[in-house]
Amino acid sequence: MSNTMKFLVVDDFSTMRRIVKNLLQELGYNDITEADDGNSALPLLKSGSFDFLITDWNMPGMAGLDLLKAVRADEKLAKMPVLMLTAEAKREQIIEAAQAGVSGYVIKPFTAVTLKEKIDKILASRAAA
Amino acid sequence: MAPNHPDTEQFRAQVAALQCALDGGDAAAFRRAFDQLCEQMHVELLAELKHVTASAQSALARFSADARLDALAGQDVPDARKRLTHVVNLTDEAAHRTLDLVENSGPLVDEASRGAAQLLETWASNPPRDALATSSWVVRAVAFLERTRTDTDVLRANMSGLLMAQGYQDITGQIIRSVIGLVDELERILGKLVEIADGNEVTGVVRALPTPADWEQGLGPQVEGIAVSDAVAGQDDIDALLSQMGGGQ
Repeated sequence: MSNTMKFLVVDDFSTMRRIVKNLLQELGYNDITEADDGNSALPLLKSGSFDFLITDWNMPGMAGLDLLKAVRADEKLAKMPVLMLTAEAKREQIIEAAQAGVSGYVIKPFTAVTLKEKIDKILASRAAA
Repeated sequence: MAPNHPDTEQFRAQVAALQCALDGGDAAAFRRAFDQLCEQMHVELLAELKHVTASAQSALARFSADARLDALAGQDVPDARKRLTHVVNLTDEAAHRTLDLVENSGPLVDEASRGAAQLLETWASNPPRDALATSSWVVRAVAFLERTRTDTDVLRANMSGLLMAQGYQDITGQIIRSVIGLVDELERILGKLVEIADGNEVTGVVRALPTPADWEQGLGPQVEGIAVSDAVAGQDDIDALLSQMGGGQ
């Protein structure tokens, strides 16, 4: 794995996608695809061989929570690491995301260090499993 | 006056007193009964007049509020929508401009760092032993310095660009303030209309709590002063919550 990993970054704001993309590149991940909501992300996930999904929650069309549920419900995608990167801060939402099988949850605004920590942690736990 | 009006009995008694005084030829009693009747009529008239005046005032206030509401709905609210869309566009442009400049600057910094490291490494691991070797190293060093000087000029221009890109805040701040003013006015007018309809002063609005259907689609960022109940305080709070649940972070 490591820097050959394929990332899909899903956010309705192109600036946020660029920021995440830049941070991922700084971490050495260069294979990054973007999508602007769950509806456009899901076909990409199903047709591509992505290793890691980073998604926002609040998006027009299919929200991040629904995308997470769709990923976990798909036999081929079910085990994919999914990091939620969102401004949604209600406890019930975080609990719901955890119950839906989110691998990590980062609240916006976030720092590069936090994003790196969470990605590393998710990858470490996957490697140990 | 309706037959079941509460004052009917009173009027009946007053008319009977008038009739009695007239029949008895008692002018003083007739005058007293007549005065009482007039006073009673006066009170009734005043109450009716008050009611009519209040209705007229209320109708005028409603007309004025309705007219302003029409103007707000027809012109100011669509304008506000356009203004806020302009804010989104301006912030989007500024963010992209900033990202462009950062992305353009990154390789220049990397190149300067790499070039300096290579020169230092050559000097440290294989110090030039003769004039020719020294001259070759110096030529490389000079080329590096020339390149770096050009690159730092570009970096300086990029930093200036980053500074200028922040100018959006002035414009967006003004636009957002004007929309806040519009929302204030709308709130006042709607409160006034509710007050006229109910006859009660509107002192506050009860905010409906978000339902699970709302928050499953997303509630948006937390904003100071608009409390979403049960919100986490930050990343540490989320990490602790997920830890308690035994899940990943």
